[in-house]
Amino acid sequence: MRSALYARRRRRNAIAMTLSLGATLIGLGWLVLILGALLWQGVNGLSLKVFTEMTPPPGAGGGLLNPIFGSLIMTTLAVLIGTPVGILAGTYMAEYGRYARTTSVVRFINDILLSAPSIIVGLFIYEVVVAQMGHFSAFAGALALAVIVIPVVIRTTEDMLLLVPNALREAAAALGMPRAYIIRHVAYRAAKAGIVTGVLLAIARISGETAPLLFTALNNQFWSSNLNAPMASLPAVIFQFALSPYADWQKLAWSGALIITLAVLTLSIAARVVTRTRRQS
Amino acid sequence: MTVAMVSAPPVDRAAIDKAQLRERISIRKLDFYYGNSRALKAISLPLYDRRVTAFIGPSGCGKSTLLRVLNRMYDLYPNQRAEGEVLFDGGNILSPKQDLNLLRARIGMVFQKPTPFPMTIYDNIAFGIRLYERLSKSEIDGRVEESLRRAGLWNEVKDKLQANGLSLSGGQQQRLCIARTVAVRPEVILLDEPCSALDPISTAKIEELIEELKLDYTIIIVTHNMQQAARVSEFTAFMYLGELIEFGDTQKIFTKPNDSRTQDYITGRFG
Repeated sequence: MRSALYARRRRRNAIAMTLSLGATLIGLGWLVLILGALLWQGVNGLSLKVFTEMTPPPGAGGGLLNPIFGSLIMTTLAVLIGTPVGILAGTYMAEYGRYARTTSVVRFINDILLSAPSIIVGLFIYEVVVAQMGHFSAFAGALALAVIVIPVVIRTTEDMLLLVPNALREAAAALGMPRAYIIRHVAYRAAKAGIVTGVLLAIARISGETAPLLFTALNNQFWSSNLNAPMASLPAVIFQFALSPYADWQKLAWSGALIITLAVLTLSIAARVVTRTRRQS
Repeated sequence: MTVAMVSAPPVDRAAIDKAQLRERISIRKLDFYYGNSRALKAISLPLYDRRVTAFIGPSGCGKSTLLRVLNRMYDLYPNQRAEGEVLFDGGNILSPKQDLNLLRARIGMVFQKPTPFPMTIYDNIAFGIRLYERLSKSEIDGRVEESLRRAGLWNEVKDKLQANGLSLSGGQQQRLCIARTVAVRPEVILLDEPCSALDPISTAKIEELIEELKLDYTIIIVTHNMQQAARVSEFTAFMYLGELIEFGDTQKIFTKPNDSRTQDYITGRFG
């Protein structure tokens, strides 16, 4: 009787194990396929020229320097705008306003913003910035990206600060430490790895965004470092070149896709490393 | 400060008078509420200078709550409030005008679980010192060493002051927390079950430490361990269901308690 029960349990266990293993393989399989295709198609076109020359007219030969530069500029600007706002808001929610009603309202709205389609963010900035200024600009692009950064950073900052045990805050308060001090020197220190990871994830997220840039920074065939003018970006160039009928443009699109993917991968690994070294020390 | 004692429960006056005690903190008719639930009921109690007072009683009786009133730790949380008086140096700690940071610098606290800050051993101690005093590097070095020596930790950590505080063992971490508290030179030290997470050897070390610290500080310890209360304290307060049942000389409480509930608790009949 007992051994029959045990055998049934073992059978169930085997089935569950097979199913979950299968699901994992399917999930990983797509990732491997995507990365494989990217590598296969992208490495081909990768050369020094990609990093040193401007986007070419069809058939002329060239590189991706202007969109790489544009992506770097707009991403950096977006992070510079979004990170302080996100961290401060997250700090308010986890520390000063933990029990406030405002906090739950803000959290609810922030979660909506977090999952809002990025094209809506693009349209929003188009309406409030581009339409008012009368032209597309890199600044508007950076602003749209910043709107995507903010909810991600708010969420991770709040979550990470909430993970800091209250005992630590009490211990600091028991020494006569003022609130601002406790937050800066104890809570931030304990949550640093998580907060940094959040920022890195936000960067990874926006470096591949196309939709919010289409209506804001638009695109630019030429070199431009003017924040008040349209600027090229990797996602926008990939979008344009991949859809084109020209073989050399399509090749550059693959290379651009590979560059973004590798950059995001590097960031994710960096995020992992930061978290790990924290734990060890 | 000579304040007449206002203590409802029976107090062994003879023993107290004999020792020429100075009342450091006077708790008077203290009520405490978590939201609407009354956790402390009209507690009146003297706490004497350079003596160890132990709070004992079954879980949930309000010992820790009472301790956390003394440095207003409850202020960190909403819906917690205290009514009554807690006199310290002539002022009422519970007054809304009380500067909490200054109060907590004068009344230090060590918690049940060791809570080193996520920084080096040295900084764990220097940090608190720098909050209220401008000292030179060498003076801080001196104070760090002195505090670690007092906490009986110096010999174990003197070669790794730059190691992370979290890398120490539980017992060492707790002594680090005591060193950190002592370093800011408080006048009163509150210990909230400081040994409950420690092994017997670490516990013995901390008890020795308490013996030494009481030469300079007023010490109040919450403990579940009755032997510990008997070993380290001169005065004991027995609490039950938010009330102070009995307060007095530790020896008397443990040998001839006045109240039958104290007797029952001490002999292990409940709690």
